[in-house]
Amino acid sequence: MPEPILKMAKITRDFHDGTKMRRVLYETNLDIFPGELTIIAGPSGSGKTTLLTIMGLILNPTGGKIQIKDMDVTQTSESKRANLRREHYGFVFQLAELLPALSILENITVSSVIQGARLNLQQKQRAQGLLETFGLQDCLRLRPLQLSGGQKQRVAIVRALMNEPSVLLCDEPTSALDSESSQIVLDSLKNISRDKTRAMVMVTHDPRVFPYADRLLKIENGSVVYDSRQSQGSGAV
Amino acid sequence: MRSLIALKMLLYDRSTTIGSVIGVVAIVFLVGQQLTVLFGLFNYMSVLADHSRADIWICSANTENINSSGLIPDRYLDRVKALPAVSWAEPLLYGGASFKKQNGQNEAVQVIGLRNPARAAGPWNFYQGSTEGFLEADGITLEYLDLRFYGNPKLNDMCEINDVRAKITAITRGSKGFSGRMVYTNLVKAREILNTPPGRCRAILVKLNAGAAIPEAVREMAALLPSARVVSAKTLSTETRMYYIRNTGMGGSFGFSTLVGALVGVIIITLTMYTGVLQRQKDFAVLRALGARKKDIFIIVLSQSVIIGLVGLFVGFFLLAGFLSATFESPLPSYLPRQVAPLLAFGTLALCIGGSLLAMRKAISVEPASVFR
Repeated sequence: MPEPILKMAKITRDFHDGTKMRRVLYETNLDIFPGELTIIAGPSGSGKTTLLTIMGLILNPTGGKIQIKDMDVTQTSESKRANLRREHYGFVFQLAELLPALSILENITVSSVIQGARLNLQQKQRAQGLLETFGLQDCLRLRPLQLSGGQKQRVAIVRALMNEPSVLLCDEPTSALDSESSQIVLDSLKNISRDKTRAMVMVTHDPRVFPYADRLLKIENGSVVYDSRQSQGSGAV
Repeated sequence: MRSLIALKMLLYDRSTTIGSVIGVVAIVFLVGQQLTVLFGLFNYMSVLADHSRADIWICSANTENINSSGLIPDRYLDRVKALPAVSWAEPLLYGGASFKKQNGQNEAVQVIGLRNPARAAGPWNFYQGSTEGFLEADGITLEYLDLRFYGNPKLNDMCEINDVRAKITAITRGSKGFSGRMVYTNLVKAREILNTPPGRCRAILVKLNAGAAIPEAVREMAALLPSARVVSAKTLSTETRMYYIRNTGMGGSFGFSTLVGALVGVIIITLTMYTGVLQRQKDFAVLRALGARKKDIFIIVLSQSVIIGLVGLFVGFFLLAGFLSATFESPLPSYLPRQVAPLLAFGTLALCIGGSLLAMRKAISVEPASVFR
């Protein structure tokens, strides 16, 4: 059994809702393994996105510990977390979230240059190669507005893969797409998840996506109530 | 690369960018225009001292500004000329008079009488004629930009100043003063027009030999002429300007107008840049999620501010140059000293960056987690 890339121990998260502190994520212990697609499912407001953003070092947990590749990243500065995200993470957002002012090539390489570094030839070639893999080689100089929803989401996947991340986090990547585009995107993500050097986590509330999962987690009211890895559970997901 | 991202964002969001640029242009043009008029007026105020070609002025005691000098004895001339540091010394006579127009109306003028106009305090530019016109006993000059106020007389026309006959023997170009329209003539004619008693003049202009130190010469002459005021031309020029600034309310008026111009510009920049950041909040959140630090977002917004500033400076100075060019040969005083332009540019850029601080603060406060909401 491979070592987990991401380890979360006793993770909690509280929010102040304007009047009092409210716990949105209860004590959660979770290890994420490479070479598999972990789907976190749950209704709206269940805490699945909160869990995802904590995994992605975007939100700090209120309590607990988080490690990536055996590196404790729980109490790190904003700047260090940004560096870690750039080096180890790839994100696929619900609405692709491409920057409209930049070309497709600039969008997928933005994380490589955002801290001031220049794009080198190797990176440019990698970007072009990835676009070809996803059938988007003609879109290099286009702007996001010129692409369809499905194409934008595939570009977002390419952007997420650009820095060879150890962890790929997807936040409802198909919820804004039609069935055909959803199928294409899910097939692509499934293929990527087979890479033994990378862990992939997807958050969704769409049951049609569940069959793609290698591991299924169900979260309700801030607690993980079902984990297919433990192959125990209370009822249907 | 962050600057390139900044530029692309600006080009994509054209309307907001243009708004910010207009803010910068407003600062440059409004402030610059006020400054050109102010410096133009400064030139008018001290025109006699600035164009005297002399190092030192000898005036009556307690002279506060050029126009407040009383009469002094001509004999001071000989005493001063005897000093070894002196190259030449010339008497100067000037005062207010009334030019009678052909329609019978009068126009206030300042008559300036010179003995050697080519050497000291003479007109520095002619539209028609030359300093040779001073050789004629009745010869006077009128300024080209003021001709319409005199009823558009021509060269060699006869006229009357203070009921004294005179002949227009030259037309100057650029001789504009603060105390009235400038009319040059020879010393004898000036004495007649201004009814000045013989043996008196308004000032003595002194040029020193090359290498002579002005402060030392001033001290030496002051000791020699204790009843007079001896002052360098530069000091008299400055004192004259300050006198008018303080005593006419001009300083406050121009200062207020300049401040309003700058404020308008800063408000426009602040509002448009802040609006731009609000429109791009999602983009900044995405960049943060992808690994941008707060510092990187700050650099992007700062780059945008600098780009807007530079473009605005280019357009603003282009318009200001147009204004200067259009008013060059007009009665409106306009002049921008060379050293003021870079100060205006630097100040404008600083105001532009200052105006964008609110936008920067907003941009770096954007939470990456907001992408997930």
